[in-house]
Amino acid sequence: MENKIIYGVTGIFDTPDEIISAAKQVKSSGFERFDVHSPYPIHGMPKAMRLGASPLGYFALVFGLTGAFAAFALMTYLMGYDYPLIISGKPFIPIPAFIPVTFEVTVLLASVGTVLAMLFLLFKLPNNSHPLHDTDYMKKVSSNKFGVCIEAKDEKFNEAEVIEFLKSIGAKDIEVIYYDNEALNFKVNIFEWMFVAFLVVSALVVSGATYIVLNKLMFAPPFNWMMEQHRLDAQVESKFFGKGNFSMRVAPAGTVSRNSNQFKFSGQPELADAKLINPLIPTEENLRKGMKKYDIYCSPCHGYYGIGDARLNGQFPNPPSLHSEKVRNWGDGHIFYVITEGQNSMPSYSSQLTNEEKWAIVLYVRALQRAMNAKEEDVK
Amino acid sequence: MSIEVLKEPSVIEGKPTFVEIDEQISSPIDKSPNIKYLIALGITSTMLLIGVISIGATFFYGIGLWGNNNPVGWAFDIINFVFWVGIGHAGTLISAILFLFRQKWRTGIARFAEGMTIFAVMTAALFPLIHVGRPWLAGYLFPYPNQHHLWVNFTSPLLWDVFAVSTYFTVSFVFWYIGLIPDFATLRDRAKSGVKKVIYSILSLGWRFSNRHWHNYEMIYLILAGFATPLVLSVHTIVSFDFAVSIMPGWHTTIFPPYFVAGAVFSGFAMVQNVLIIIRKIFNFEHIITLDTLEKMNKIMLATGSMVGYAYGMEFFIAWYSGSQFESFVFINRAFGPYAWAYWIMVSCNVVFPQLFWFKKIRRNIPIMFVIAVLVNVGMWFERFVIIVTSLAHDFMPSSWAYYKPTLVDFGILIGSSGLFFTLLLLFIKAMPVISIAEVKAVLDGAQPHHHTHNGGRNGK
Amino acid sequence: MIAINYQRKELPSKLMKIGVLLLGLGFILALLGYAIDHERAAFNGVILLMFVMSVGLGSLFLIGLEYLVGADWSVPFRRIMEILAIVVFAVPVFSLPLFANLHSLFHWTHIEDVLKDPILKNKIPYLNEMFFSIRSTAAFVLMFLFWWLLAGRSFGQDYAPTGNFRKVTIRISALFMPIFAIVLTFMAVDWLMSLEPHWFSTIFGVYYFAGTFSVALAVITLFAIYLNENGYLGEGIGGDHYYNFGALLFAFTNFWAYIAFSQFLLIWYANLPEETFWYLHRWEGSWAVISVGIIIIHFIVPYAVLLPQPAKSDPKRLKFIAWWLVFAHFYDLYWLVMPTYSASGAVFGWMELYPVLIALGTILILFYTFAKNKNLLPIGDPKLPKGINFHL
Repeated sequence: MENKIIYGVTGIFDTPDEIISAAKQVKSSGFERFDVHSPYPIHGMPKAMRLGASPLGYFALVFGLTGAFAAFALMTYLMGYDYPLIISGKPFIPIPAFIPVTFEVTVLLASVGTVLAMLFLLFKLPNNSHPLHDTDYMKKVSSNKFGVCIEAKDEKFNEAEVIEFLKSIGAKDIEVIYYDNEALNFKVNIFEWMFVAFLVVSALVVSGATYIVLNKLMFAPPFNWMMEQHRLDAQVESKFFGKGNFSMRVAPAGTVSRNSNQFKFSGQPELADAKLINPLIPTEENLRKGMKKYDIYCSPCHGYYGIGDARLNGQFPNPPSLHSEKVRNWGDGHIFYVITEGQNSMPSYSSQLTNEEKWAIVLYVRALQRAMNAKEEDVK
Repeated sequence: MSIEVLKEPSVIEGKPTFVEIDEQISSPIDKSPNIKYLIALGITSTMLLIGVISIGATFFYGIGLWGNNNPVGWAFDIINFVFWVGIGHAGTLISAILFLFRQKWRTGIARFAEGMTIFAVMTAALFPLIHVGRPWLAGYLFPYPNQHHLWVNFTSPLLWDVFAVSTYFTVSFVFWYIGLIPDFATLRDRAKSGVKKVIYSILSLGWRFSNRHWHNYEMIYLILAGFATPLVLSVHTIVSFDFAVSIMPGWHTTIFPPYFVAGAVFSGFAMVQNVLIIIRKIFNFEHIITLDTLEKMNKIMLATGSMVGYAYGMEFFIAWYSGSQFESFVFINRAFGPYAWAYWIMVSCNVVFPQLFWFKKIRRNIPIMFVIAVLVNVGMWFERFVIIVTSLAHDFMPSSWAYYKPTLVDFGILIGSSGLFFTLLLLFIKAMPVISIAEVKAVLDGAQPHHHTHNGGRNGK
Repeated sequence: MIAINYQRKELPSKLMKIGVLLLGLGFILALLGYAIDHERAAFNGVILLMFVMSVGLGSLFLIGLEYLVGADWSVPFRRIMEILAIVVFAVPVFSLPLFANLHSLFHWTHIEDVLKDPILKNKIPYLNEMFFSIRSTAAFVLMFLFWWLLAGRSFGQDYAPTGNFRKVTIRISALFMPIFAIVLTFMAVDWLMSLEPHWFSTIFGVYYFAGTFSVALAVITLFAIYLNENGYLGEGIGGDHYYNFGALLFAFTNFWAYIAFSQFLLIWYANLPEETFWYLHRWEGSWAVISVGIIIIHFIVPYAVLLPQPAKSDPKRLKFIAWWLVFAHFYDLYWLVMPTYSASGAVFGWMELYPVLIALGTILILFYTFAKNKNLLPIGDPKLPKGINFHL
């Protein structure tokens, strides 16, 4: 039998009261490297073993504050500086809206961080090759007994004395625990063939999967990024309109292009004045049409009587009066030109009025001009 | 006053020994599944399969397979999401909040309830994922540097949901797992087969039952419970923000956060109670999941159901008081419009039937309490239906109104979600201890040392 | 009767002296206030009314809660809660000067303006002086009734216990809870929310409840600790009781912050002018400082002080935080009420002191007077020994 290195000596107790008093006695006898094992936490044991307060609260505080600060800072930077967008009219750094995420990240980091710190740093778990594993002692304390283990690393340790001591405080089933030499001597070999094979296989699997996903799967429906869409493309043969037909259809007969009705005298008001003649006769019907259209389209700026006293007074530059000498001397064509092309602040009204309507307005304007400069005989 | 009044009933009845606890709780795991279990698993797996097919079809053909229309853009997808997240809340409440209140009666049910939380949250998380239409782009929900130079909208409650639900899942999982470590270690030491021993050794991380570790373990449990409590409140609050931050009448109302949380606890407890009644019967856990425990759960249902009723009343009153015709209309429309049938199911199941729990006889009668809890679950599902669908279907402009009808695919996904939840639960029962072995042992009579009255601060010290 | 080690000790008369001093000073300031500027005095009167209502109704609620959940740890100081709840009888007294000043307080009493305003006109069936008075009166009557049912009946149990007292009181508590919810909500809606009658918030009742729970528990904590430290509670309560005080105060500080934040976030986010104006009024001028202050005073400080585990059972910290929370509740009510009076900025002068002085004076005087010749422990309660020996 090879030389076994001793880990410690264990003893079993039956009741919680016994284990509490045993713990107190072990501690007061001066042992530092010892432990108590039980299937569940015993009230008052930390005090009996004189363990200090758990540091986990501080871990939680630090992790939590870090999480809070990090989340808030990240959101502030991303939404306030990196790519600010106006969302619902809120400020770029809307503090109330940042609170929920900040809170969640605080809790997440505090909880997970503290747990991981506890497991890895404080407990140094996972560790399945501790000398106490697989012993009868462990089988008992994980079920229904309570135990004390005094480690050999303790300064006051002496195998025989410790066994006597444990007997004296009432321990049963006293057992000496040894290290598992195999576990102790285990050396990590980085070139172990199983590990290398595992690395190679995982590299192959991962790269293969990545290739398939990014180059094949992405182009298969439904993942192909809406690349293939059931829509009608102009230059492509259309399924909808039948074989040999493009989705882009030929215009039906009689279609006139939008810009085909160009105003002949565009940019040439004198020519319009000279060449254009009002095709409409000043009948009551035409004048009424003109009045109606004038009231709708012209009165906002020119006023109802053409004086320029419009209800947009002040908000838009007031137009000069239509009863000035200049305008009264214009030909009908010139007025038609101004309505069609606009001038200065006045826009073109071609998109709102048909040519016929414009001529009717010209009639009405003439009527207004005559009314403004009425002579004796007009009243008769 | 007789002594019986003074004595509190034992948390665990019958005075089992530690070894008996080990055996009783491990027995479902040790035994191979019997025919009843296999039939149950068959049923839930079929339900799950229906869901998988429905979801697969949805992925392939698109959300058009659902009944969602304009204006009812959210329907079964979000109803189911809120429903399942709510179910999860009972677990955390039992685990964390009852722990903080030092209620020992939680011991028998805490592990199971936590498991239900995790499975419910997993089921719930499906819905935001599948309802976006192209779930494979879900990575964009997380803020990572990308070539579009775009970030997520941190001010949107939909994004808060992403953080809240993932945090809730992670923390619940960690809490549950920490609780399982000592039990895995116990199972490791009891394991006869080599394979089981290896699995439990890995899962238990090598836990040694050292009191130096228990000391910190208790602290982490308290810390996790202390964090899980505001977390669970925040999760359903953030879910309620999905609706309440809008301007929709019927959605935009300040009482939504506590109302949703109370409703979540209400429906969660109903589901937990139902499942526990079945479990305790099948696995003979009646002395651990006692009638007293069930009665206390019914009381919690009564309390939270009353809070939900209060919220209904307040919403109704303020809808009138506010003077907003849109708000008043929504409430009248709920009660008398095209979805009145859903509204009255909701009111009767949530407000009327749970009031029966005022009576002790009913609180302690298992068949009746089972039925009431089923009705509560139905009622709470309909509450989300009423809130979401009626507000959307009849909002501001009558010209935008439309009636929503779910399709078979919608129902398939709903059935599938239940299938997922119950399948996971059944698998859980066979694979892990559904009752916390270590915690139960710790609350048995005689498990803790008798300590003399310690005077921490008596009379001014 | 259970053999408890309890000797009745009469409370020191200096409690009464301090109470009379505070009440007297407060009363003089109030009189002067009503004489000089009755509108401002009336607004302060609302703060006084709602503070005392919080303490009284809150204590009744805590008593009812104890019976309903079957708590043991609070049995030793339940008598303190029962005596403290007597302040509900002072509530109607404080409402009298307010009823005389309804026109200064509430815009909805200005009928000509109401008739011109379609929104206010719609509320007339609820916001009219007659129905308002009926509601308050009904609330006061219910408070008196439940004081007797929940608190008053328990004093007789000390020497002539009836076997089914607890059972009956549990049923009364069950009945009380929905009534409490309705009374508290509508008192908050009437006296606080209707100060700005265009505004509405479904969570307002819950908000007032959060403040009520905190302040009632804080006052009870103060009485319990002071009395315990001076030997008035017999064998006394211990560190574990203190821990529960600390944990509950901590929890409800969080709860208050949660409710306050929910209300704010939803209104801020939706940005509807019909709701946001209430918060904008509290951002006008120096009100902005007060608003930021309420977060610090009502949430951040109590949170930080009570967060560490040992802090929750430390009597010194508990007393400090309990006093702090009492003033935080005054601050909360000031922030709720005063912006309606002075819209351009906060006003604080000698007049704003009178609600504090009168409230604290009244509580001390009523407690002292009513506690005369009464046991400070409910010695007839069979749960008392368990409550005293309570351990976590």
